[in-house]
Amino acid sequence: MTLIQSITRKIKSDIRAIPAAIVGWYRNTQYKLDLYRRGKIGTLQLLAPVFSTAGALALVSILMFPVYWIALAALSGEGASLYSAGGLQLLPAGFNPWLLITEGDLWMGMDLTPFVWVIGDLIIPSLRISIPFTGSSIVTSEVVLLEAANYGVERPSAFKQYAWNSLTVAIPTVMMTMAVIIPASYALSRKEFLMRKKVLYGYILFTQVGGGLGLAMLIAVFAIFSAFGWTNDKFMLAVYYSAMAVPFNTWLLKTFMDSIPPSYEEAAVIDGAPPWRVVWEIILPLSKAGLAAVLIFVFLAGWMEFIVAQTVLRPENYTLPVGLFALIDEYTVPWARFSAFALLFAAPVVVIYLFAQRYIESGLSFGGMEG
Amino acid sequence: MATSDVVKRVRKYEAPRWLTENLSLALVLPGLFFFLSFVAIPLAYLIGLSLTNATLGTMFQDAPGLWGTVFGEAEFVGVDNYASLLTDGQFYRSFGVTWLFVATSVVGKVVLGVGIAVVLTHHWVRGKRLMRALVILPMGLPAIFTITVWRGVFSSARFGLANQFLGAFGFESIAWFSRRWLAFVSYNVTEMWLAYPFMVIITVSALQNVSGELHEAAKVDGAGFINRFRHVTMPSIKRPVMFASILTAAASFQQFLIPFVFNRGGPARANELILLYGYREAFEFRAFGEGSAIMLTAITIIGLFMIVAATKGELAEGAHE
Repeated sequence: MTLIQSITRKIKSDIRAIPAAIVGWYRNTQYKLDLYRRGKIGTLQLLAPVFSTAGALALVSILMFPVYWIALAALSGEGASLYSAGGLQLLPAGFNPWLLITEGDLWMGMDLTPFVWVIGDLIIPSLRISIPFTGSSIVTSEVVLLEAANYGVERPSAFKQYAWNSLTVAIPTVMMTMAVIIPASYALSRKEFLMRKKVLYGYILFTQVGGGLGLAMLIAVFAIFSAFGWTNDKFMLAVYYSAMAVPFNTWLLKTFMDSIPPSYEEAAVIDGAPPWRVVWEIILPLSKAGLAAVLIFVFLAGWMEFIVAQTVLRPENYTLPVGLFALIDEYTVPWARFSAFALLFAAPVVVIYLFAQRYIESGLSFGGMEG
Repeated sequence: MATSDVVKRVRKYEAPRWLTENLSLALVLPGLFFFLSFVAIPLAYLIGLSLTNATLGTMFQDAPGLWGTVFGEAEFVGVDNYASLLTDGQFYRSFGVTWLFVATSVVGKVVLGVGIAVVLTHHWVRGKRLMRALVILPMGLPAIFTITVWRGVFSSARFGLANQFLGAFGFESIAWFSRRWLAFVSYNVTEMWLAYPFMVIITVSALQNVSGELHEAAKVDGAGFINRFRHVTMPSIKRPVMFASILTAAASFQQFLIPFVFNRGGPARANELILLYGYREAFEFRAFGEGSAIMLTAITIIGLFMIVAATKGELAEGAHE
């Protein structure tokens, strides 16, 4: 079973679980009501779950409120406030689901200008593709997906540039990290050698103090980067990130590989497979889920790191987190725009992260012996 | 000597046992060297810097000799930086507020985390799994996003959520970041929100291991909710929660972003947590030597704390398989 199949199967079972849960609730409620009618349980036992669930829902809503509030601010347009003259507003300004039917307004009256400001123009420029040997060429026409000026946005944010910078930092980080951690985690998982426990122990310890140590070393890292002229160099930043990503991800991948039954390898060795074939044809295919999880974590680490990037990069090379932070120091940026920027930065991250948590990390036991 | 002799000799040659047995180490070494070169070299340089009076002005000047190449015009001052820390009032203030922050935020995180976990595992609550999936959302959010958003929550501007909330109850707006203890409270609230998902996950898995029979038996004996929590639940979740508390205490001690983003440890440097103190000494007041000394002191403390915690607790479980 491949990784994709296992993920789709899990998503399907998750979706199927929703109606089943609703039916379950309904039956349970009927059962409880029946018991109550027959006088087997008192009023307290009947109502306690209702009140408890309501309380838990209230608790969860309070905890999640800051996130909702940011979305609210982003969707309410310029100068929005939660507490306006009309009292507490829990829905975006101008929000009216009715508009979806009457006017076909997909956004139901919400103000999306802040998001337009963040994204800016989306224009695929016209390209001239020359066809060899014929002398002629095809000129594609310019495709305008979104033009900020049409929405009254004068100077859009540098979001796309920051995103590009983040991408060009995160991708080399992933490649370098994967290159060193795959062999290391295989060796740590399967072989016995000198210093093995010490290395593992050191890696685990570092994952706990890494944040503080990284910060403490910031002074020296900055000095070294300056001395070698590496400041404002995205590639060197990526090298630094991937070095820092080694301990945790080696350990994570090692624990994934631990869950692969050794009997597969033994079978391959008996059939005469050389060591590199054992790794290439057994270990790597079976640890796909682990590799995917590690890849995502390393990528997100490069995508989200703030402190070092803020210290060494200059504005033209700002990554997204640094760009976000730069916005709050500019008092001219309205809160709605800031919120939209923050949401567009965080939403993909949280989706990918939670996806990885739910469907990949827990998928480490897929395809056991039945495979 | 004929060629075949050489071949024979090479064939006969067997690598020494220690080499063949530890050959796999070669797979680990590239990563280890890569990692160490970005930790050991800066760390050594940091130690060196902490023994000099380096400032931004002197550090990057070219000076003759090996010393000059490495440290520029900075001079060797021995342990002066550490000695001056001992008489620096700001160091003690920063140190004190850091430990206070560790204490208050850990208590807050444990109470909040265990509380949420207890509510979201209770048999009366319906839709527990869905709510648990929702409630750990902060874990997936980028730290800088969460912290800038919470800065907005405590903002004194019109949109500030905390002030709007107070306003709804008829209170006056508060300038959260310009009053010392209010700023400290805002740090704690933010840190709690950042870290509770971790506590919830650990506690939920511990709670699910508490056997229902124990609760039933206690109920039959007439124990109320409070008593059952104290005598049945607490003993069973104590160890995992302790373990999580140690880790989260270390995270609190290393907190930097919250004060940095909120108000740079203000007002008037009253809330500079230790790492922020070192950072500001170096990058804002240009005293790289002194900043290095502060940073080294801080990581020595956290390193010792973690080593003690690891040997006493079961932190290193993964390494002892």
